[in-house]
Amino acid sequence: MPATTTRPAPKRAVAPPARRSPRRARRGETLTALLLLTPAGLALVLLRVYPMVYAVFQSFHKESLDVFQAPHWAGFANYRFLLFHSVTFWPSVGSTVLFVAIIVVIQTVLSLALAVLLTQRMFLPGLWRTLIFLPVTIPVAVSTLAWQIALRNDGIVNGFLAAVGLSQHNYFSTRGMTYFSFVVILSWIGMGFWMIVLIAGLKDIPHELREAAAIDGAGRMRTFFSVILPLLKRPLAFIAVALTITNFFTFVPEQVITAGGPNNSTDFLLYDIYQQAYQNANLNLASAELVLFTIIILVIVGLEFRFISPRER
Amino acid sequence: MGILRNMTLRRSSATVAAIVVAWLFLWPVLWMVTSSIRPENQIFAYLNPLSVFSILPKSLTLQNFHLAFQAGVGRAVLNSVIVAAGTTVFGLLISVPAAFALAVLRFPLRRTAFVILFVSFSVPFDLVAIPLSSVFRNWHLANTYPGLILPGLASGFAILLLRQFFANVPPELSEAARVDGAGWIRIMIRIYTPLARPALIGAGLILFIFQWQEFLWPLLIADNPNMQLGPVALAGLQASGVTSTNFGAIFAGATLLTVIPAILLLIFQRSFVETVATSGSKG
Repeated sequence: MPATTTRPAPKRAVAPPARRSPRRARRGETLTALLLLTPAGLALVLLRVYPMVYAVFQSFHKESLDVFQAPHWAGFANYRFLLFHSVTFWPSVGSTVLFVAIIVVIQTVLSLALAVLLTQRMFLPGLWRTLIFLPVTIPVAVSTLAWQIALRNDGIVNGFLAAVGLSQHNYFSTRGMTYFSFVVILSWIGMGFWMIVLIAGLKDIPHELREAAAIDGAGRMRTFFSVILPLLKRPLAFIAVALTITNFFTFVPEQVITAGGPNNSTDFLLYDIYQQAYQNANLNLASAELVLFTIIILVIVGLEFRFISPRER
Repeated sequence: MGILRNMTLRRSSATVAAIVVAWLFLWPVLWMVTSSIRPENQIFAYLNPLSVFSILPKSLTLQNFHLAFQAGVGRAVLNSVIVAAGTTVFGLLISVPAAFALAVLRFPLRRTAFVILFVSFSVPFDLVAIPLSSVFRNWHLANTYPGLILPGLASGFAILLLRQFFANVPPELSEAARVDGAGWIRIMIRIYTPLARPALIGAGLILFIFQWQEFLWPLLIADNPNMQLGPVALAGLQASGVTSTNFGAIFAGATLLTVIPAILLLIFQRSFVETVATSGSKG
């Protein structure tokens, strides 16, 4: 028993029985681990795995007209309907992908700009960072409501534009205007979080590198683009993927402000699925759409990974 | 001298830029709070032309809060507090043992177990919200506190955070306790949990704030006015349109829902921002 012979004699004398055999101790450790992981494992199975399996099951079934009958097997009928007959599915896919593409590019650049600004030498940096982070803690629906009121035709934003002599706008009238407003609202809500993540990435860059670049005569811009930016590749890639996933789940603004409009331009996929399940009370169709939604996200995130790290494979 | 002045100048200009940006993030919050304590008929009165009264209230009143409470917002905010607090307590009770097992104990497939737990809990919950709401209805969990709390308990972020902290505790501590005959569960409760105070605060805040943020789930699972959460009730107030929308009441409810997490964040600011930063860059 090598484990016990290395210990001083008096301690061996009081060692509990469980410590006598390393094999038994290891089995005890495994059993304890199993016990401690059980609540989290149960939560995982009941709250994540089971509903997904349930959705897949529902997507291949159809509700019977007779409510007392069990739902019957429908094969790919729900999928066929969505892909070839539904008038909302493909426009919804198009709107969602377009909006996500726009907002991910803008938010990635914006969070980088914020992180770079807030890591300059300045007075009270912690205070400014906290203020930018503050909206992260406000419920999304509350921020959205406040912005909706601020962006009314007689709201404070138009009041400000009039005061500085700019033209006023109707912020939810067209697809372009509405996407612009959504980007402003969602960026105001979330940018503080991604800024903090990127600040951590910026702090990992050794100071000597900047100094070396400065000694070599590189200007501030040159240093940023040739030294700092390449080193930020990993955190930036992480943020781009995280922003893609997050924004695919945009739901609150179209639910609270536009109800999918104008002209269904904000009928994004999660909202369309919600409408399918709750407005049309068709859980089977909603489930099939949810499965397709999952596949779309997986494909796009997979493409992003390939694009980001071609050499790391 | 010239270099010194140059540095101060650069520092000042960076500060000015930061103040401008911080103001862009701050003004809607200020405007929301001040609109909640001014008479309802003044909310849109001073916006065009813009004046100092656009942000500052001309006269103060608590009437909006009174109206909001009458409309059931008080009950909804209380529900939000109960649900978020319950999520924090029970979420930690699930996360701490899991994180301890993953960080300290040695068992087969430990790394796999961690990856599975972390990845599946990091998938946005809204992906399964709609099918799960149907399941929960069948289980008679609609319009109940357990129904509202349960989905928020599983946070990959909280487990990751606690695991990182536990992994950095020197193993000599638990070895000494093992030699003295303490079991693993006792070691977790007596040694690791008290040491992990900062990580517990960070993980607890994450559980609280994520639950406080939820909108889709409470919208799906709690439609009974007595069980509605704050954000859902507030959005309903705006959309109800039975009478003309009462913006004062909306701002009052919005202020309540903003101030509660802001106070928590200010109290625990340091540990929260640091924990988000360190775990975020390693995710």
